[in-house]
Amino acid sequence: MTVAAQTRRAFVVVGLLAAAFSALGFRLVQLQVLESTELREEVAQIHGQVLHRQGRRGAILDCNGNLLANSQSVNIIAADPSLTQPVAAQMARQLAPLLQMGEADLTEKLSRPGRYVRLKQKVDLDTVQQIKALKLKGICYEDQYTRSYPNGELASHVIGFVDGQHRGVQGLEAVMDTYLNGRSGYELVERDRKGREIRALRNEAIGPRDGLNVTLTIDQVIQHIAETELDKAMQQHHPAAAMIIVSRPKTGEILAMSSRPTFDLTDPGSAPADARRNRCISDVAEPGSTFKVAIIAGALTDGTVSLPDRFDCENGAFIYAGRALHDAHPYGVLSVEEILYHSSNIGAAKVALKMGPSRVYDYIRAFGFGQRTGIALAGEVSGIAHPLAQWTKLSITRIPMGHEIAVTPLQMLMALNTVANGGRLMRPMLVKSVTDEDGKPVMQYQPQLIRQVISPRASILMTSALRKVVTPEGTAPKAAVKGYDVAGKTGTAQKIENGQYVRKYYSSFIGYFPASDPQISILVTLDDPAGGGYYGGTVSGPVFRGVAEKVAPYLGIPPQQIEAESGNLS
Amino acid sequence: MWNRNRKRESLQLGMVAKALLACLYVGFIGLGYVWNKNQIYRLGDEIKKRESALAALEKRNAMLAAQLAQLKSPGYLEGRNQAYNLGLTAAREGQTIRLWEPTAAWEAQFMASRRTEAQRNLVVRQ
Repeated sequence: MTVAAQTRRAFVVVGLLAAAFSALGFRLVQLQVLESTELREEVAQIHGQVLHRQGRRGAILDCNGNLLANSQSVNIIAADPSLTQPVAAQMARQLAPLLQMGEADLTEKLSRPGRYVRLKQKVDLDTVQQIKALKLKGICYEDQYTRSYPNGELASHVIGFVDGQHRGVQGLEAVMDTYLNGRSGYELVERDRKGREIRALRNEAIGPRDGLNVTLTIDQVIQHIAETELDKAMQQHHPAAAMIIVSRPKTGEILAMSSRPTFDLTDPGSAPADARRNRCISDVAEPGSTFKVAIIAGALTDGTVSLPDRFDCENGAFIYAGRALHDAHPYGVLSVEEILYHSSNIGAAKVALKMGPSRVYDYIRAFGFGQRTGIALAGEVSGIAHPLAQWTKLSITRIPMGHEIAVTPLQMLMALNTVANGGRLMRPMLVKSVTDEDGKPVMQYQPQLIRQVISPRASILMTSALRKVVTPEGTAPKAAVKGYDVAGKTGTAQKIENGQYVRKYYSSFIGYFPASDPQISILVTLDDPAGGGYYGGTVSGPVFRGVAEKVAPYLGIPPQQIEAESGNLS
Repeated sequence: MWNRNRKRESLQLGMVAKALLACLYVGFIGLGYVWNKNQIYRLGDEIKKRESALAALEKRNAMLAAQLAQLKSPGYLEGRNQAYNLGLTAAREGQTIRLWEPTAAWEAQFMASRRTEAQRNLVVRQ
């Protein structure tokens, strides 16, 4: 072979190699540069996936850390009918008892055309484990969160509920939504041929953050006691509605709040809107005689009257501005103390007349009537307290007996708490703290003083007068609690329908105990009781007693009068 | 000539050895890389498994917490009490013995009296 031939061959080989490498190089440039964007997207579509992770919604706890609401992971059970259709009947037989569904219904779903059918939602983890153990082909599981309320109806108006997207709709679930809601996270992952994540190739991951836990001032045991007594009253008196609030007068903490009709938190949709309303903050009504507490406390603070001062109660009929004002029972001359515990409308009107409209109005505002209390619940109304300019000549005699004014049950209890608390009006407290998942406090709420409304001296005088309300001379002997010093006030207000007073009543009792060092205050209101009586003392008083008798030992409040062995009170 | 041949042979052996070493080096580097990658994937799988287990435990924990809360709820306990006729009620006042809690002032007075007594005993002994 000549050198020329060798050189030619070498050129051919080099040329072929150069062409091959050039082709490879071109392909490389084409893949990596020219078409890289499209190809990357295509690969990302095949192997890549963005997984969104939802943070768990925080829990709601009572003041002792008992769970009132939390989020639970459940599953949606779905099927691919293209795989399940040939064995639908057999599969349905296995799944029916676990999913608690009819076999025929399941067979129909498993045989439907298409590649996806939802069999059941909100399936718990234990059931999922049992289904997984059956190793059925074509069955898949999707994660889902559901809100769980272990106590069912308990404190439903306070706790509230969430919608399908886990957003708070009502109650504290709505008000504290910002804290309760978890933050979603995401992961950019790559999957292998079988669709499993290749963990080592996870590109980017921002973890979800669980929501914060909210601890309430509500005590689930006291809430249960209050609701049980309220249910008993509903059965006995058949009122259209009923409300109860238990609080601590010194701090304004709400220990229990409930109203009837109520609803089940696990199925709020099935209850009418009327039952879902928190009547303790959203319903206003004329308070009746319970309002006398505010007027007389104001008069005692101003020094306009003192407890022994006497007023002529006109034997039950007092003509003022051409209209007669009546008492439930005719009274002659009564002291201010007697006006309170006999609940004389005429006496209260005369005290107010002595104070003058301006001072009466000042105290109405100072006690917080006509303004929202600021409780951490949506839907609170401010009530109606007409400005002085809109008062008629009669207003000064009607307002002291709780007419021409509309208040919420919560406002009325807060006003009584002011009297029990040395004249200090506190903001009602429902949320105690917000903590993270490790229990570390993020926010801590303290009792808030709104203002000093009446003097401490007036508060002591009022307590001494209100203690007589539960004695046999007073209007509510049935509210007396054996062994305990109770101070309280009854209220029986006529209802207004179509602008006219009708023979329907709001029967209330508000009280606190021990009177010398108030620990607990309770409000009970029954709207239109139909089981015989309608006076606050006879209808709501026993409910108050029922709650107080159980709450006192539970909270370890020692009795003031120790029960002697003979059964008498020493 | 003989010397030149010997020199060429020794040079070839060295080259071979070097080439072998280079091959081994490259080989080990390659194998190391593969082993390392394999370890990364295994670790990834391990992490994934642990993550799944942790998530499952958290889910189970939330479920059990709700179950426990339901079992501890006053309504449920009251229902069981009635169903089994246990007759359990809260203790009445007559069944309760309340212990007197000493106040800070009382404690201070008590300690002062103890000290005085101790000093008196000391004086007597001396």
